[in-house]
Amino acid sequence: MLYLVGLGLGDVKDITVKGLEVVKSCSRVYLEAYTSILTTGGKEALEEYYGRELIIADRDLVELKADEILKEADTSDVAFLVVGDPFGATTHSDLVMRAVHAGISYRVVHNASIMNAVGCCGLQLYSFGETVSIVFWADDWRPESFYDKIKKNHSMGLHSLCLLDIKVKEQSIENLMRGKQVYEPPRFMSVSQAAQQLLDIIQKRREEGEEPGLSEDMVCVGMARVGAEDQMIRTATLRQLGSCDLGPPLHSLIVTGRLHPLEVDMLRLSAAPEALAHLEVMDSSTYTS
Amino acid sequence: MKPRFLVYFWYLRHTEGDYVNFTVDQIRAIMDKKANIRNMSVIAHVDHGKSTLTDSLVSKAGIIAGARAGETRFTDTRKDEQERCITIKSTAISLFYELSENDMAFIKQGINGSGFLINLIDSPGHVDFSSEVTAALRVTDGALVVVDCVSGVCVQTETVLRQAIAERIKPVLMMNKMDRALLELQLEPERLYQTFQRIIESVNVIISTYGEEDGGPMGNIFIDPVIGTVGFGSGLHGWAFTLKQFAEMFISRYAAKGNTTMTSEERCKKVEDMMKKLWGDRFFDPETNKFHKTANGPKGKLSRTFVHLILEPIYKMFDAIMHFKKEEAASMLEKLDIKLDSEDKEKEGKPLLKAVMRRWLPAGEALLQMITIHLPSPVTAQKYRCELLYEGPGDDEAAMGIKNCDSSAPLMMYISKMVPTTDKGRFYAFGRVFSGTVSTGLKVRIMGPNFTPGKKEDLYTKQIQRTILMMGRYVEPIEDVPCGNIVGLVGVDQFLVKTGTITTYEQAHNMRVMKFSVSPVVRVAVEAKNPSDLPKLVEGLKRLAKSDPMVQCIIEESGEHIVAGAGELHLEICLKDLEEDHACIPLKKSDPVVSYRETVSEESNQMCLSKSPNKHNRLFMKARPFPEGLAEDIEKGDVTARQELKLRARYLVDKYEWDATDARKIWCFGPDGTGPNLLVDVTKGVQYLNEIKDSVVAGFQWASKEGVLCEENMRAIRYDVHDVSLHTDAIHRGGGQIIPTARRALYACQLTAEPRLMEPVYLVEVQCPESVVGGIYGVLNRRRGHVFEECHVMGTPIFVVKAYLPVNESFGFTADLRSNTGGQAFPQCVFDHWQVMPGDPKDGSSKPFTIVTDIRKRKGIKEGIPALDHFLDKM
Repeated sequence: MLYLVGLGLGDVKDITVKGLEVVKSCSRVYLEAYTSILTTGGKEALEEYYGRELIIADRDLVELKADEILKEADTSDVAFLVVGDPFGATTHSDLVMRAVHAGISYRVVHNASIMNAVGCCGLQLYSFGETVSIVFWADDWRPESFYDKIKKNHSMGLHSLCLLDIKVKEQSIENLMRGKQVYEPPRFMSVSQAAQQLLDIIQKRREEGEEPGLSEDMVCVGMARVGAEDQMIRTATLRQLGSCDLGPPLHSLIVTGRLHPLEVDMLRLSAAPEALAHLEVMDSSTYTS
Repeated sequence: MKPRFLVYFWYLRHTEGDYVNFTVDQIRAIMDKKANIRNMSVIAHVDHGKSTLTDSLVSKAGIIAGARAGETRFTDTRKDEQERCITIKSTAISLFYELSENDMAFIKQGINGSGFLINLIDSPGHVDFSSEVTAALRVTDGALVVVDCVSGVCVQTETVLRQAIAERIKPVLMMNKMDRALLELQLEPERLYQTFQRIIESVNVIISTYGEEDGGPMGNIFIDPVIGTVGFGSGLHGWAFTLKQFAEMFISRYAAKGNTTMTSEERCKKVEDMMKKLWGDRFFDPETNKFHKTANGPKGKLSRTFVHLILEPIYKMFDAIMHFKKEEAASMLEKLDIKLDSEDKEKEGKPLLKAVMRRWLPAGEALLQMITIHLPSPVTAQKYRCELLYEGPGDDEAAMGIKNCDSSAPLMMYISKMVPTTDKGRFYAFGRVFSGTVSTGLKVRIMGPNFTPGKKEDLYTKQIQRTILMMGRYVEPIEDVPCGNIVGLVGVDQFLVKTGTITTYEQAHNMRVMKFSVSPVVRVAVEAKNPSDLPKLVEGLKRLAKSDPMVQCIIEESGEHIVAGAGELHLEICLKDLEEDHACIPLKKSDPVVSYRETVSEESNQMCLSKSPNKHNRLFMKARPFPEGLAEDIEKGDVTARQELKLRARYLVDKYEWDATDARKIWCFGPDGTGPNLLVDVTKGVQYLNEIKDSVVAGFQWASKEGVLCEENMRAIRYDVHDVSLHTDAIHRGGGQIIPTARRALYACQLTAEPRLMEPVYLVEVQCPESVVGGIYGVLNRRRGHVFEECHVMGTPIFVVKAYLPVNESFGFTADLRSNTGGQAFPQCVFDHWQVMPGDPKDGSSKPFTIVTDIRKRKGIKEGIPALDHFLDKM
């Protein structure tokens, strides 16, 4: 049996009781370590709390050597631990498909994901549109497709949850081509970096004479380490977020759409000065920025 | 350290041997008179007497005592050059020449006073060193093409002339080694005329084949004795003439008979009219002193004017002196008003002949006149060369500065080569200023060949430490140098590998990189005999790479250090330099091996799908071979990555019947962004495609550099991206996901399209007497060569055999040929084309299989071509 176990967002204790039982009973336990990280405590902390050894599963192992994970899973139990929910921000469909093709049954133990935990800022999950990822720009690679998606959500009055790029164990293109197993130091995108990239696109489009569709004064919410004890929520304009510091990773960013008065009240709790100054009232129950 | 680039600056005066040195200030003053500068190369087939001829120009200044010109090769400064009697590195010399007022009337372009600065570059004739010629041509505007009138136009004459014309370099011709024709072959005057006529025709055929229609913006560049662009003579004996010299002799003889008060213009007109009568089907009747258009005179056959008035006096002089007819000789000397020194009067035979001919028809005088009158000044040349030299728009400040040769415009300078300094490991950057003025301490942008405007790659902003004039065995600092001149820079070498652009203009594009006619197809692996010398070897390789325009120094995956050159001789010289000058350590060298290319012979037999590691992205591609000729067009530069898109598309549609839509959707060339393989987008309406384009391109550059068979470059393969399915979120389709996937897909395409191996093939030209032709066939047959042309050089006992020979079979070919022909056959090998080797590299019994296996072993990669399922995924 292959168990996909969600670990939640905060610390080692966020695992569910059911999940912990699975971890204790399995013959091998893998910890997926490249799509997200637990903000407090690494592998050692988990091992200590669960009282057993974990095997780190990096991108190479999951994407290229998945068969190793599934080895003997038909006769014994293997657990695959994923930060958040196994089918949340990152989907491990490929692993499940392989298991099914190999005649191995699987079970999922759910947990909280950033996809639902963002509710804590006061925005209603019902009014979120398509989730997007904002990727690190390189010198000659500056994709903008995420911007268009945010714009589309915004035009429909929906909020956009932006997951921010993390590079835990990546090779530079040069090392990739030379086949060298040399990895770049880990990088995590901060809210201010993400906001800055969005601001760049707005400016670029304006210079090219295009209607940017989004503005610097939009109300956005920056969130850091959601679920952890020191989580931070900052409601501010996009421009303000461009120069904020929310501390260590992981960060997420929300670009708001149309706001219900209750949502506005909730945002006020975490608002920076002047953050909501540009809100416009569309009708008695709708605000927008 | 042997200085290889000598600039001698001498003041040449009409009176022989009387010269003075210029001070740097005086030189600097001449540099401003741009209309009076002539930058020129001397080019020829090996052994046609270039260096000897150049010496006769220099000898006029008395650097080498007049009598010894022809015996010492002044421009060959290296010991090995002297020993081998060939030129290896090009050498620059500056000359100053003053035209008489009469002669100035002949110049059809702008002039500024009577003094001319001639920057002359003598370049190697052996094909292995063609890259030196290319570098020389770039900084010059005119070329003196030297042809041995006995051997005629040879393979290297054609190669260098073709290059010159492609760079819009105006040629003039020197028919050399007339002494051989007269003394050894004893050709009849009329036969000799025919020989000349034939050579001129062959040269003009090359000009019209490779030139632009109607000469393009350069106008008519055909060579023609009648206008004075052909010289005749003997570099070895130090004499030469053009029709102008003889026409002048006749005009002054007539002038002496009365009309003595001609203006320069009138005289010029008369001389030019006379020149027309001295060539072609014009005949002279000595009875009446009249010219006729047919050979049938009133009293029987008339002889040709060229034969009667020019060749016969020369023949008579030869005959009189060589056969010791002293009285006849003396009377001729008197008639021609030739005065000999008392020292020369003592001589007899050949030495006397040399002395007399040199007095009568001094080579320096004739050639320097031909050069100053007919070759273009930078002002003239840069107008039409600009569009070929500059990659940017034709109307920006840099382009206008080049076109107008404007010394107050922004600086544009091209560095064509690196010259070692006496300071080990450092180099002077040698090149030409095309626009603006370069000066010591100037802050400039140094742009390498990979620089693209708006980006920072391959760009440095630095101060120029010193601008220098290279004078003799030492250099002279000079404050600044204006456009149109050739100069050396100090402190630039560490920012450029071999060549580059230097500018002060923020928006400047690159000057176009030089196209070499040869490629580095022969390679050897080197290692230090003493392993602890490795750092010295690495440093030495870096210096070697700088010092030669062509050589490539590569580190293989396996850690092997590879030196790749144009041919066996080129490599031999490079390795010698590496061992003795650059690394200064004992080396171990492997046997030479050749580079191969990987190609395909069919279209992929299935649609190739590869999935990204996270399985969210899928690429669908196919490969197919290029139509014949396209790979060559890309290498020639007729189809390039930087070309205007519509122009390129039209070319592909017209010439290769490409689909018009496909032709506009070429993503890139590869390897290195310029190579002869193409990646084409034939998808229909795929979302986010432009966001993965760069990753697919990177994968393509990678794969086309290291093919699936044995990691050699690919060639002549077109890859089509048919369809792509992508994850909607950018984070799941980054480079890490797409680059390896693109490479796998491309490899699958290559494997399913009947992959083949290509090998380089030389064109071999062998000159020999008829008796040994059979021996040549034998040697060639043993080495998989085949003869495609065999001809007899008219008027000589020489046979010329032309054949194709795989480079891989050429090692030791020269020695083998000599021993089989009693040392009478001399081959010249020049890289000609890539040829598909018959046989499937996947078939264990084929020759390509053996080669692939050997290469994989040498490179230390897994044995055997990887199976298709490594790269191909199922839906």
